[in-house]
Amino acid sequence: MSELKKLRVRLTFPQELIKEPVLFRMAKKFDVMPNIRRARVTDTFGEMILELEGLEENLEQGINSLREQGVVVELIEGDIIE
Amino acid sequence: MGHVKGLKCRECGREYPIEPIYVCEFCFGPLEAVYDYAKIKRALSRKSIERRPKTLWRYKELLPIDGEPQVGLNSGFTPLVKAENLAKFLGVKELYIKDDTVAHPTLSFKDRVVAVALTKAKEFGFDTVACASTGNLAHAVSAHGAKSGFNRFIFIPATLEQSKILASIVYEPNLVAVDGNYDDVNRLCSEIANKYRWAFVNINIRPFYAEGSKTIGFEIVEQLGWEAPDSIVVPCASGSLLTKVWKALKEFKEIGIIKEVETKIYGAQATGCSPISTAFKQGTDVIRPVKPNTIAKSLAIGNPADGYYALQAVRESGGAIEDVSDEEIIDAIKLLARTEGIFAETAGGVTLATYIKLLKEGKIDKKDCTVLCITGNGLKTAEVLDGKTAEVYHIKPNLASFEEALQRIKNKEGK
Repeated sequence: MSELKKLRVRLTFPQELIKEPVLFRMAKKFDVMPNIRRARVTDTFGEMILELEGLEENLEQGINSLREQGVVVELIEGDIIE
Repeated sequence: MGHVKGLKCRECGREYPIEPIYVCEFCFGPLEAVYDYAKIKRALSRKSIERRPKTLWRYKELLPIDGEPQVGLNSGFTPLVKAENLAKFLGVKELYIKDDTVAHPTLSFKDRVVAVALTKAKEFGFDTVACASTGNLAHAVSAHGAKSGFNRFIFIPATLEQSKILASIVYEPNLVAVDGNYDDVNRLCSEIANKYRWAFVNINIRPFYAEGSKTIGFEIVEQLGWEAPDSIVVPCASGSLLTKVWKALKEFKEIGIIKEVETKIYGAQATGCSPISTAFKQGTDVIRPVKPNTIAKSLAIGNPADGYYALQAVRESGGAIEDVSDEEIIDAIKLLARTEGIFAETAGGVTLATYIKLLKEGKIDKKDCTVLCITGNGLKTAEVLDGKTAEVYHIKPNLASFEEALQRIKNKEGK
């Protein structure tokens, strides 16, 4: 039985995706709940700091689909390996 | 009692008590230690600092601990070497090397941050410390943790070279090699840090750990006779070291140790992992994560946690950020060794090569008093010089053979 998991991530959107409802589509398709805490969007880039909540496999599939579309998905902690 | 008031979110300014937490619950911004500078001003002076042992703890009021130092009691206060030969070679007036190649006990500036992190971990009552690292951080946590009696968990990517593993495993921590790419290791360690009650030095202890880097800035000022230099060149991985060197100068001004800070801070990156330099050159404050591809592994952080703040510090000071190729890094390592007798790891090569580039671009004045932060020892990354060092003269065990070699040496020198 899979449990609900929370993941805090930073999304960076390339210019061509700024006008697309990328996050909404992902959330709906994979049943992942986004909780946005901070965001900056201009005409050339988009950046979003948020928490994603869902079943582990859904989170993984959701993040993979964002990456496939060209969104950079990273941990908010930055790289932990120093 | 210490001089830290609490933690504060760098984004929204929300305040938190002194606890092993690192991120704002509301905006997920990073937390930073906040001090009572009025109280520190009364407790700390040039004279009181000068009376203390020559370690990083001589600035303890400006470090985020509540009691007395407990770890790294011999760390810090590395030499500030006047680099006259190198200055002459480059045609600059006044140049210094802040030489952390001889940091105690593991020969990199990570000894400073880990000394502070583990002292704080003791204060919090942790019995286990942990980190994820490919080199310097692993060595420092392994060694300092051994001396101070912690259980230690060190996570490394399973593909890490044997030579790098040795400098950690000799201290007998629990060394865990994770089968996966860097993203997998990062994600797993974040999960482990959230599940286990351990002091993960650069995750839940990060607000305290990072403050240890300020001691490089404090020492530079003290070793220059209580003056801030015109420019400081700092290598950038997460960007934390650069922001903390800048913070150190501002804190010394805040508490009246120095009157003015007109120092320009310069960031140095390897072109193969230059997200902060790229953002600087593009004039944006958005750091786009990259996949590192450089010989400067100790700076290979593609998603730098403090990149944004490093950019701010550089811009605020009027400095710049540059990046250099692997070839320039090797050349700089060799130049530093043959002029100053200092063998730096690849990050040191990045710093010197970037300085040379900034001089050529006219972004650093040749008349400036400049300090280069050389953060780690070359023996840690000696393999990058394979096949790139000077010639060895092989001879037979007789005088004739030696004299033949001597002639070759003379001919070469005569050229």
